[in-house]
Order: sequence, then C-alpha cells, then structure tokens
Amino acid sequence: MKRQLIILLLLPACFAACRKTDTSRGPVPVPQEVPAFFPTPAANIDNPLTQEGIELGRRLFYDKRLSGLNQLSCASCHHPDLAFTDGVALSQIGASGLPLHRNAPALFNMAWNSNGFFWDGGSTNLESQAFAPLTSPDEMHQNLFQLIDELKAVPDYVRRFEEAFSDGEISTGNIARALAQFQRTLVSAGSRYDRYRRREEASLNAQELQGLQLVQQRCASCHDGELFTDNKYHNNGIDADFSNEDAEGIYQGRFRVTRNPADLGKFRTASLRNLLFTAPYMHDGRFATLQEVLDHYDHGVKESTTLDPQMRQRAGQAGIPLDNNEKQAIIKYLATLTDTAFARNPRFAAP
Amino acid sequence: MKKYFILAAIIAVAFTSCKKETIVTEHDGEATVQFDAKVNNNDFVLNQNITIGARTYNFKNLRYWVSNVALVQANGTEVSVPNSYFLLEETNAVTVQDGAYTYPASKRENVVVKNIPQADYKAIKFSIGVDARHNDNLSLQAGELSQLSGMTNVSWMWHTSYIFSTLQGTVSDGVSTKNFKAETGLNTNYKTVTLNFPEAVKINSAKSTNLIFGLDIAKVLQNIDLITNPNVGAAQASIMTTLADNYAGAFSVQLVK
Repeated sequence: MKRQLIILLLLPACFAACRKTDTSRGPVPVPQEVPAFFPTPAANIDNPLTQEGIELGRRLFYDKRLSGLNQLSCASCHHPDLAFTDGVALSQIGASGLPLHRNAPALFNMAWNSNGFFWDGGSTNLESQAFAPLTSPDEMHQNLFQLIDELKAVPDYVRRFEEAFSDGEISTGNIARALAQFQRTLVSAGSRYDRYRRREEASLNAQELQGLQLVQQRCASCHDGELFTDNKYHNNGIDADFSNEDAEGIYQGRFRVTRNPADLGKFRTASLRNLLFTAPYMHDGRFATLQEVLDHYDHGVKESTTLDPQMRQRAGQAGIPLDNNEKQAIIKYLATLTDTAFARNPRFAAP
Repeated sequence: MKKYFILAAIIAVAFTSCKKETIVTEHDGEATVQFDAKVNNNDFVLNQNITIGARTYNFKNLRYWVSNVALVQANGTEVSVPNSYFLLEETNAVTVQDGAYTYPASKRENVVVKNIPQADYKAIKFSIGVDARHNDNLSLQAGELSQLSGMTNVSWMWHTSYIFSTLQGTVSDGVSTKNFKAETGLNTNYKTVTLNFPEAVKINSAKSTNLIFGLDIAKVLQNIDLITNPNVGAAQASIMTTLADNYAGAFSVQLVK
C-alpha cells in the first residue's frame, strides 16, 4: 500500500515535468468574430488570434517606423475612416513618389478570403502579403534588417513581442503575423442593411428594396452572399486588350499569377460593402462614382475572349441593361451597405 | 500486482509523452553532406569564363534551397533531418531589396547533420526549393528560411514564393553577350531528388561520415537558351519548369565514406 502511494505521488511529478519551465500565462486567445449569416471563415491554423497579437498588430499598422524613411505607415494608404482605402485612384505617396499601378484595396472581412490577396491574388495569405508593400521601393521601402533594429530599440515593442509570441522575438515573421491578426479583426457587418437583415429595428424603403432585388438578380453571381464578393477573379469588360506585358504583367490581371491565358484581364471581385467610403472604383480607380460604374455595366462593357459570361446579359451581347430608375435604386441600396460604426470603431483606430 | 502494472504503464506513458524528438543515444552518428557545384567534371567557379557547349558563361552567383533532407536506411526507414531548410550558395555580394542592404559574398556547400541513428544507409532524399506549406506562408520561417537573405524579393513577394534557385552572370555566343538571371520558384517547381549510394554506408558514432554530391551546372542549363531568354522567372513559366526539372536531374553521388 505504501509503495502504491509513492508511485501515485510520483505521477503528478512526471506530468509536471512535461510542462514548459516558463510559467507565464501566455497570450490570451481571441475567437474569430463571425457575424450572423456570414459563412465560415478561412482556416487559420498557423496564426491564431490573441489579445496581445491583435494589439501589437494594431500598433504596427499605425507605426511609421515600418517605412524606410519613417514617413509612412500602413494607415497612410489604408485610412480607417475610408474602410481602409485612401480615396485616390493611384497613390503617389510611396518612397519613390511614382504613382502605383493599382488602387489601394479596402481592408475588411479578410478573414473570409482564402483565395489570394492583391487585385490579382498574387499573395497567398495575409502573413505573406505584408512583405510586398513593406519592401517595395514604390511603397514603404523598408529595409527589413533596419526595421528589426528599430523595433528592438523600443522597450514597449520588446515587451509586446514577448507577450504575443511563443518565441518572443522581434522578427519579420512575427511582424507579419501580428499585422495579419489585427487585419482579421477588421470585420464589417454593421450597416443598415445588416440590421435590416438581422431584423434589428432597421428597414429599407421601397427604392432600396428594389435595388436589393436588382443586385441579387444581376450582380450576385460575382458580388455573392453576405460578403458581397465571391473572392474570385473576373473580367468585367473594362478593357479589351491585355497584350501589355509591362511591369511583370501588372496590366494582365490574374494572368500574371497563373500564366493561364484564360485569366487575362481578370481581377478580384471587390465587395459591395462600404462603397461610399471606397471610391474611386476598379483595380486602377478609373471610375470616380457609382454612377460611372453602373454606366459601364449598362453600356460600356468591352467584348473580349475572357469576358465573364455574366457580363453578357443584353441578349447575349456585352452589357448588363439598367435603366436610370434601376441605377438610382441600386445606388440607394448600395448606400445601405455603409458601415459607419466600422469606420469609427475605436478598436481599429490609431493607438 | 495488476494494479502496479497499470500504474507503471501510466508512468511510462507520462514520461514518454514528454519526448519531443527521437531518443539520442551515444551511438548516433554525424554526417557532413556536401553539395559540390561543378561544370561537367570541373569545379564551378565564379567570375571566370567557362565554356559550356558553344556558349561562354561568367557566373556571378548560384544560390538554391535544399530542404526536407532525409536519409534512407537499408531497410527503407526514412530518417528526416528536422528543420532542414538550407541555403546552398556560391555567390558574390548580393544587393538585397533594391540596394537597401548587401548580403556578403559567400561560399556554402556543406550541411552538417547530427544525431543520425546508428544504421546502414542506402540513399538520401532532399528537395530543391521550399515545400508549399512554408512557401505559401512567408511568416513561418523554419530552418534558414528568411526574407533577409535575398531569396525573396519584391517581384516574388507580389506573387508569394521564395526564390527556389537563382543562377546569374553573363553569357556569350561569340556574337552577343547578355546578362542573365535564371530563377525558379512557385510550388509546382518544388522538386524532390533521391540519390542511391553505390553501397550502403554505416553511420554511427565511431567516425564521421562524408556524403558528397555533385551538382552539374551544365545539366542545369541544358535546353535553356539564355541568349534568347536572358531572364527566366515566373513570367517565363515553361522555361522555368524546364530549369526546375534540370536541377532535379543534375545531382549525382560523388563520394560516400
């Protein structure tokens, strides 16, 4: 009996030996927010959200130390009050001063995107995405070695990286992980439309309801579901010639990534949410207003071999017929997809 | 008695559950794995004119990832080398991030593998490039993977991938001379190589083992016309695939002892 007791006493010791010597509690897990009616988010096994990681990511997002000359942060082109866009077609505030090739994309509901970031999907996930704008000479032009040194010189960052990550290191990998965590918390589902959808004391008037119906009938094949995007790549007829191979195929759309001729001129479907914040529109910001966008779909669609079949709603010809009343109804409806609470959310604002 | 047996079993489980890696024993061996770049039967050298067929090359650098190395025992058991992402290179100084900083000139052809379980080994397996899991997520950074060594750059980061291999320099056909840059990347070009040893080699603590493999750059450049296509990369998908296949077929066993 005595021997048995000794063995029993030994047991907890052996199990305890398995634990790490570090007794700190570790970062506090945060579940991915999933609004009602939203689909299941993309799997995220390598970078689980934590309070510490998200907060560190927010601080990095707004920190100008992340650019070579310490004059630009992520937020310089992704303003929270514009659903993290910048309001211009092609930014010229990067390190080189040259205009960029593409419009700054909005940042929200990215936790549901497992089909590539950037307008052509060249980046596989948020963790990998950050390195391109960080290092591009036309954007932040940050020497990554220098960035690590700069952050290591800030005691607050040293502590925050220690608290957020198991290896506790200020490394390029952890910088990217923290930024990705913050971005996955940018969930937008608080528009009047959402409250109407959830039956939370909000209503849409007759014109808005007409717009909703029109969007469902004529636009939802791409602007699909509660995300209002299928996160896929389509040629929506804004150009007809994709032979320009300049800048590593930047004008060729998804083809740059897949090298598949069937992907020439295809770009990622933008969400219809928060459009009042995200003008101008299209991958190069060529349309200043929603009226221009709808005019394009009505009578501006250009025929080409890769044109999306849904762009031929005019008895098989290019275009999506919309009369003026219909366009007005759609514009009124799209306005109900504006999430002002998201744009003003203090959790997403500069620290 | 039965109770004691169960307790003993629980204790055994409790202790074994603490293990993270295979048990290291005093008989474990060590091997130096060398990847020796060559041109046909000559040594590969930088900054000298080297003739391959009708072309004269002057190489500035050769850099490539060797990953997921495993040694294969005579009975077929594979022993994986943990965290094996190794950057092999013979390179002049490399300008990284469009000149933001310089990666120093370097020659690295050896990888030392420790704690190899004592056994007879008949083959080695390794891959050229980075597996999809690590290549798709640049923040994972196992082994020597890093954004800081110039084996990613802006072009490749706009299209998530490490540069799996790069070979740069000048090439001349007697009429014209071109600067060339021949790179591979992207998951489809991740290639695994198995090399069988001429005879099984005993690896144990009694001696250190040398495994020397050749990489023949003449084979790497087979059917690649760098005068016509001086840049090989993601935008030259089919040539890049030929190049990646060439790497996979350009390794040979030089010495196992």
